[in-house]
Amino acid sequence: MAIDGNKIVHAVMEGSRIRESKGIIPLFGVYLSLFSVQYYNRLSFEFEKKLGKTRKTEAQALLIQAAQECGYATFQGIRNSWEWDEIVTPMIDQREDQIEGFTAVAVAFGWGDLEVKELIPEQKLVIRVSDSYEAGGYLQRYGRAASGKCYMLRGVAGAFMDLIYGEQYPDGCFTFAADEPLCRAKGDPHCEFIAAKSPH
Amino acid sequence: MKLFDWKSELARKGHRVVLSGQPITMHCHHYNINLQKTLEDTLGKEGIQLLYDSVEYANYRDFRSLLAQYTQIKTLKSKLEMASILYQNSGFGVLRFHEVGPQGGNIFSPSSHHVTGWLAKHGRRNTPGCHFARGWIAGALEAIFHFELGHYAVNEQQCKMMRDEECLYKVTAG
Repeated sequence: MAIDGNKIVHAVMEGSRIRESKGIIPLFGVYLSLFSVQYYNRLSFEFEKKLGKTRKTEAQALLIQAAQECGYATFQGIRNSWEWDEIVTPMIDQREDQIEGFTAVAVAFGWGDLEVKELIPEQKLVIRVSDSYEAGGYLQRYGRAASGKCYMLRGVAGAFMDLIYGEQYPDGCFTFAADEPLCRAKGDPHCEFIAAKSPH
Repeated sequence: MKLFDWKSELARKGHRVVLSGQPITMHCHHYNINLQKTLEDTLGKEGIQLLYDSVEYANYRDFRSLLAQYTQIKTLKSKLEMASILYQNSGFGVLRFHEVGPQGGNIFSPSSHHVTGWLAKHGRRNTPGCHFARGWIAGALEAIFHFELGHYAVNEQQCKMMRDEECLYKVTAG
């Protein structure tokens, strides 16, 4: 059975409307929050700016690392949640299908219109996004970029592969690393993330 | 009076998620806390200020837009109630405004997304750590009282990340 992304998006939207008295949103095994994309963009891009040209690579690496660690823990929580068991597990025929499930959850979270373009088991994942909030936010605030700006999605693409093909959780994080050869922030028609085995 | 229908405010426009028409995204405590730790570890006080300023800026814009849409909300009491509802329904926890006016005031928080997330990931802190909440409060109050960004200073005098009973924020005109 193919993964029905709409069903997952619907479940997340319904779940994100459930509140408990402490103002915490427990959903898919994690605590969710809803906030402006402007906040996340400003935080990331001003952080990069503050570190300056000499530490640009370090800033990017830290932002990607923060996202990859997050993606690794978050989607591990998600795939072990009762919501996943109830909604997604019945649609999974092979372990690769989990990537489609993760992608649908990311779309539901408002991270962009993620689409899996290629998956070579154990080796390579290609995800395409036409409307990443990071690329759109960068263009809007700073104009055209010289390099890819979707640090969160880059980390998350690596984390998806870590969870499926890395060592058993929690030892598999950073087994894979993703590049972003195409990014809308630098004038490309869409953003593209390619995750492959990390050289480190 | 029902302030606003939260469930109808949270909607999708294609693959985008919007709240009262403003683009938002959902993130969990892992990402929010990782970002905070990355900024604190790398930039120290400057990183904390960047986090505070970023929340203040975003919430100021969004809250002003919300107030402009809900013109029936006129009194200070109902505006503060709206701020509490917004905070709580965004999954950030509970805020209780106490004797808050244009000159500032005190705000208590018995429950928080960032406290829960920080304690789960890193345990107890020795310094107050709710920089997100401080910036959020500053932006909301500046929007409510029609001040410019940066008008208020919000300091955290008790913090649950340090195992205090609740978080206490003191707001003063900067």
